[in-house]
Amino acid sequence: MKLLSNSRQWLETLVGNPTWEQVQSWFVFDPQKPLLFNSALFLGLFLVFYFFYILTQKTHRLRIAYVVAFSLFFYYKSSGIFFLLIIFSSVLDYAIAKLIYDEKDTFYRKFYLVVSLVVNLGLLGYFKYTNFFIDNTNLLFDRNFEFQDIILPVGISFYTFQTLSYTIDVYRKELEPTKSFMDFLFFVSFFPQLVAGPIVRASDFIPQIYKKLKLTKEEFNAALFLIIGGLLKKAVISDYISINFVDRVFDAPNSYSAFENLMASYGYAIQIYCDFSGYSDMAIGLALLMGFWLPPNFRTPYQSASVTEFWRRWHISLSSWLRDYLYISLGGNRKGKFRTYVNLFLTMLLGGLWHGASWKFVFWGVLHGLALAVERYFGMFIKLPKNYFVRTIQIFLTFHFVAFCWLFFRAKDFPTAFEIMQNIGKITFNPQQWMIIAQGYQNVFLLIAIGFVWHFLPHNFIKLLQKGFDATPLIGKAVVLAFVYWIVYATASAGPQPFIYFQF
Amino acid sequence: MLAKATYFFRTLAVILLSAVFFLVFKSILPKRIFSETKIASKHVTIDSILLETISAEQEISTAENGVDSFSRKKIVFEQIDGITFPAEEYEQYKGFQYLIPFYEKLYQMETEQKGDVRIAYFGDSMTDGDMIVQDFRRALQNQYGGKGVGFVPITSESANSRSSVVHQFSPNWKTQSYLNVKRPLNPFGVNGHVFFANDTVSQPWVSYKAGKGLHTSNLDNPTLFYGKSDNKNGEIILKTGKDTLIKKLNPEKLVNALSLSTSLKYLKASFKKADSIPIYGFNFDDGKGVHVDNFSNRGNSGLPISTFNVNVMNQFQERFDYDLIILHYGTNVLNYGSYNYTWYERKMNQVVNHLKACFPGVTIMVISTADKATKYDLEMKTDSAVVPLSLAQKKYAIQSKSGFFNLYEAMGGEGSMTKWVEEEVPAMAAKDYTHFSYRGAQKVADLLYNQLQEGYVAYKNLRKRQKVVPAKTVSDSVLTPKKPEHEK
Repeated sequence: MKLLSNSRQWLETLVGNPTWEQVQSWFVFDPQKPLLFNSALFLGLFLVFYFFYILTQKTHRLRIAYVVAFSLFFYYKSSGIFFLLIIFSSVLDYAIAKLIYDEKDTFYRKFYLVVSLVVNLGLLGYFKYTNFFIDNTNLLFDRNFEFQDIILPVGISFYTFQTLSYTIDVYRKELEPTKSFMDFLFFVSFFPQLVAGPIVRASDFIPQIYKKLKLTKEEFNAALFLIIGGLLKKAVISDYISINFVDRVFDAPNSYSAFENLMASYGYAIQIYCDFSGYSDMAIGLALLMGFWLPPNFRTPYQSASVTEFWRRWHISLSSWLRDYLYISLGGNRKGKFRTYVNLFLTMLLGGLWHGASWKFVFWGVLHGLALAVERYFGMFIKLPKNYFVRTIQIFLTFHFVAFCWLFFRAKDFPTAFEIMQNIGKITFNPQQWMIIAQGYQNVFLLIAIGFVWHFLPHNFIKLLQKGFDATPLIGKAVVLAFVYWIVYATASAGPQPFIYFQF
Repeated sequence: MLAKATYFFRTLAVILLSAVFFLVFKSILPKRIFSETKIASKHVTIDSILLETISAEQEISTAENGVDSFSRKKIVFEQIDGITFPAEEYEQYKGFQYLIPFYEKLYQMETEQKGDVRIAYFGDSMTDGDMIVQDFRRALQNQYGGKGVGFVPITSESANSRSSVVHQFSPNWKTQSYLNVKRPLNPFGVNGHVFFANDTVSQPWVSYKAGKGLHTSNLDNPTLFYGKSDNKNGEIILKTGKDTLIKKLNPEKLVNALSLSTSLKYLKASFKKADSIPIYGFNFDDGKGVHVDNFSNRGNSGLPISTFNVNVMNQFQERFDYDLIILHYGTNVLNYGSYNYTWYERKMNQVVNHLKACFPGVTIMVISTADKATKYDLEMKTDSAVVPLSLAQKKYAIQSKSGFFNLYEAMGGEGSMTKWVEEEVPAMAAKDYTHFSYRGAQKVADLLYNQLQEGYVAYKNLRKRQKVVPAKTVSDSVLTPKKPEHEK
């Protein structure tokens, strides 16, 4: 009896004693608290979900319905009532794709495709770009239309592109429609990649729905390895340096020294990579644990030796989507040299706009588009020698170009981006001052350094790490995973660092 | 057969185990990594007087710990110039009564177009780069007229972020600040700093360009302020566009003013042979309406004001005739472990008395600390020190007969900083959950201005109801509160 009460006490100190309100809050939508993979709540929910998931693994309909229900709940936790929008879009796209598939007449097939594009892009446009449009109309024609109170449904940019790939692939006769509506909804709402990608192609994913569910030892190991890396990148490196340093400098660049401005620019480059690729890795890992393979989204992009290469290694699922469905639809490189450059440029411009409804994203896209065009043009005449030295310089230049473009991506407006550039321009070689600043921000700078070193580690070294992890017994893996949770938890518990006022 | 079995159940086991191990780790390993870094370097601004006071207080506090003789009853005012504001509840204390001399001056200016009103706004990093103050100044100048940014020092750590005046300076100025220098070579000027153009190799310079503000688009009547010295050879070389003007410095009095020009857009001043002459700064105002000087200083707790030299400040007061001093501090006093702020209350009470001696006739208004959030169990909540500190600030305001603006309550009280950072779009405060954004600063200025206006409207009503309006002229004697004739 005493043992029982003791162990209960022990459990309570461990888990805490949640109140009824707390338990309710786990299941109710809170706009301030979306359900992130790196939260304890998700861990708990996933555990319960996974238990029943593997019990239903041999079934098809039940399992599909079960995952759809969980996915919609997951989406509801991030976006509230908008989960209905996903269902609406899915009904529509499923129906239209079926019409296209059954239709033989080319005109009607095209007509249905246009309807699908208009509705899907119309919804995306309404939610994402209405106020941007109003703002520009007001500026251009000196009018005074009021802004609309529109909330952007989380992940709409991602799942719209997924459903579009399905309809277009069916139209191109490269894909057969799903066998049932639920299967299609399963593809659209699949929670690991629902809110932040990777953008999964229908042709990659849908065939997997009909295969027998399996999870090999290798897949299991790879999944855990991805999740651990993703957690460290997203919840430790990215989250810590953004709140304690990068955000502050970008909010008020003029309050900081030239060196701090420069470091915040480098910091943001590693922050956005760790944030985005970390979350992608977790999504891919989770899907793998459920027996589904999602395409890789990042391949150490800052190791690229050209902007062209960068786009083959950064947010791969988006860039390849843009290539296959936008660039090629525009004519790709089949309509002459001049049109090729125009298409390249337009693809990047629209790709920029996809990231957010603002001219700064357009400008960011344009910069990259110009770089791609310039590289393509000069690539025809100049053949650089291929050696270690040349490649290092190329990587250095490419990284700095990309980091420069990020300034427009991150700064809240153009003046702020230019302020940062001006401030960096004032930098003087003063290692003593840099050391003092580095001491003041030692945690932040340490994490930035870890982020970059990790990024530039040789591929073979990572492989070696992975091998070591694979060889660890299951219990050891659980300990490693738990230790990573603790690092995430202890990082999240650290309060924001107080301001440091340097004077030189 | 077993070898081919899928890994689903093993995965479940590993995840379950990892969750259990995590709970164990959580209870045995430290709660947080990345502890706050405290670095001691002469390059980091710290209020050394605050630190000394705190370490001294820690020795005393054990003796008089918890003794609080302050009564929280209604605050009943004594009349000033025949006017008495209704008694105030302690909780909602604003102390308009103590601003009467300021309000009367404002009233004279508004109705008779006589004189001008000047406000000194002392603050910490919250008012860096003229944040809050520029919006407050604009609101006042919109309502009551007046042009110019007021007093601007020679160097400033936040000059780069200031847009109400574009302020640049050479790096070879010698600067002494009341924040970390106890015995300056010459007394501090009105903004708590003193500057020396000691470099003989290259002439130290400073330049100002008018900002974009509606009332600050000119450098009105630029005037140099400097102190006393034996060096009679100092010169100021003034460049305004194409013209170059050389003027001799005559450092005879404790505070000397040298009028340089009428209205300008830009000026650059360099100093020749001016070593050992204490330079204080430049003033830009049109002599009419309301002027607000921003004396912001990162890291300041307010305590360094006690080092002001009374004689020097008296001379500044003769020149500027401050009607109101605003004390906006608190951020730098929050993080010292203890929630007992009786020492701060006592010291700031002394600071106010010192200010009254330095600037005879001035009225004082205290602004409480803003809300500041700290992480408690993964959630950002109002720091536990905010309420005790704001109460201490209210108490010293009452004790020293000063007006009071409860910024913490005005922001929305408990949890408001978290809302300002996370819920407002665009954000009204920065991710350090301490400092305001431009939008937030504007809001704070509005809140402050509205409270000041509320008191002024009430004052005008009370004044109207008074049967006999005492004959008044704008002079200092009006500004000193008279002793009540009969007490209740």
